[in-house]
Amino acid sequence: MTQISRIKRFSITDRVFHLFLMLTFIIQTATGFSRLFITTGWGKKLSYVFGGYETALLIHKWVGVLMMVGFVIHTLYLLKRIDWRNPGESIFGPDSLVPNHHDIKHLWQRILWFFGLGAPPKLNRWSYWEKFDYWAVYWGLPLLAITGLMTMFPFVTSRVLPGWSLNVAVLLHRAEAILAVAYIFIVHFFIGHLRPTSFPMNEAMFTGSVPLEEAMEEKPAWVERLRAQGELEKSAAAPPVAWYRIIYYVFGYAVLISGVYLLINAIIYSRHVALH
Amino acid sequence: MMQVNTIKLATRWLAISILGVLLLLPEPAAAQEEVASPIRRYKDREASTGYYEEYEVRPRHERPFVSIPGVREGIFPYSPTAAQVRIRTRLADSHRALKFYTRRRCEECHVAETRDIHTTRANLTCRQCHGGEPVASINHYFSPMNPIRRHAYVCAKCHEGASASYASYVVHEPSAGTFAAKQGFPILYYAYWFMLILLVGTLAFFIPHSFLVGLRELLSKKRKAEK
Repeated sequence: MTQISRIKRFSITDRVFHLFLMLTFIIQTATGFSRLFITTGWGKKLSYVFGGYETALLIHKWVGVLMMVGFVIHTLYLLKRIDWRNPGESIFGPDSLVPNHHDIKHLWQRILWFFGLGAPPKLNRWSYWEKFDYWAVYWGLPLLAITGLMTMFPFVTSRVLPGWSLNVAVLLHRAEAILAVAYIFIVHFFIGHLRPTSFPMNEAMFTGSVPLEEAMEEKPAWVERLRAQGELEKSAAAPPVAWYRIIYYVFGYAVLISGVYLLINAIIYSRHVALH
Repeated sequence: MMQVNTIKLATRWLAISILGVLLLLPEPAAAQEEVASPIRRYKDREASTGYYEEYEVRPRHERPFVSIPGVREGIFPYSPTAAQVRIRTRLADSHRALKFYTRRRCEECHVAETRDIHTTRANLTCRQCHGGEPVASINHYFSPMNPIRRHAYVCAKCHEGASASYASYVVHEPSAGTFAAKQGFPILYYAYWFMLILLVGTLAFFIPHSFLVGLRELLSKKRKAEK
């Protein structure tokens, strides 16, 4: 039996979707903030990167449309992933991202572990916070898409709804965007890059695999399940090559630094702008 | 007997004829105007306020119960004379009787109104929308801001194709979290607090959670290294 050093965690499709979301999200943050903070010196400079206020807005709109298309494609992909002969197992099984009662149990065990009152939870393939990360997009993106479309097409909107609904749409769009940005650039980046077991980078989304040792420590129930099913050997993956590691480290940290830069400046200049 | 039958027959035919005339002829209208109602005219076909005939002249009388679709307006609460005294939003000269008015600037009193998107981003001045002196109150008939014509006289100058509903966008909206917003724009108020609670709630849970995960992992690593 060969020695397994890494096991497969994400498919190439999963990684492409994540890369797509990374790129579109960072562009939307930068163009959106350049518009939100345009009355400040920083906002003006940020808009120059995209060719000014109007061009930044144009990019924001088109990338927004691209995100919506990506969202629809991803939803179709999800539906395709469901095993319709056995939907119960497929939707609520251990490989699914759909929340279940184990997540509440794991959260409680995690809280006890924080204070030294119990053992860490034996997580399966997806932890409760990973599920939250995933489903947050499913409430955030539709809200951003609907309010974004309302402000993109104000005349059409005001034919269907009263014109003052645009005031509410702008407020919801900005508030949801700030929530998403704050969550991703603080919580997601910390969990992905800066906590001790991930530092300097959780490479799983770029390589598609994780070291077996790390998986046994973080997701013991998942590894045990793979072993019991005889799937562990099939899940074995090769370590990434050096040049590819350099590329995704540079790219990942560029996005991280850009995100933190945008967040810090947004906090600094927040007193100059209103949510609506 | 014969005479009675003839009268009955004649009456029946007369009733049928009158009914036929009523059904076939158009309904009677005063002076055969194209449309009888000055308010409903073309309303079903155009996205506008419905006020067409009267926009160049003063209204004949106050019509407090007439409302514009999609535009929420209060019912006229006092007599017209009382309104002139008490409600500045209904004066022909909204700044009437203000001391030293000619020496003052708009932003000295209307501070919050100078900080919305239209003024800070589009660099609009007050008079571009509210008109010249004497600045009529926004609900007065003389004002271009009157909801009857705001969309055409003001909004459409930049937003070509603006409808009456579009013109109900609140340019000088109240600060969303305040009591003023709760009173004047409750949907905005509740949307703001919902999103704020969602934001604070999410971060209040996940930031300490992430911090504790990091701290606990650090301690575990240290223990392992010591072993």
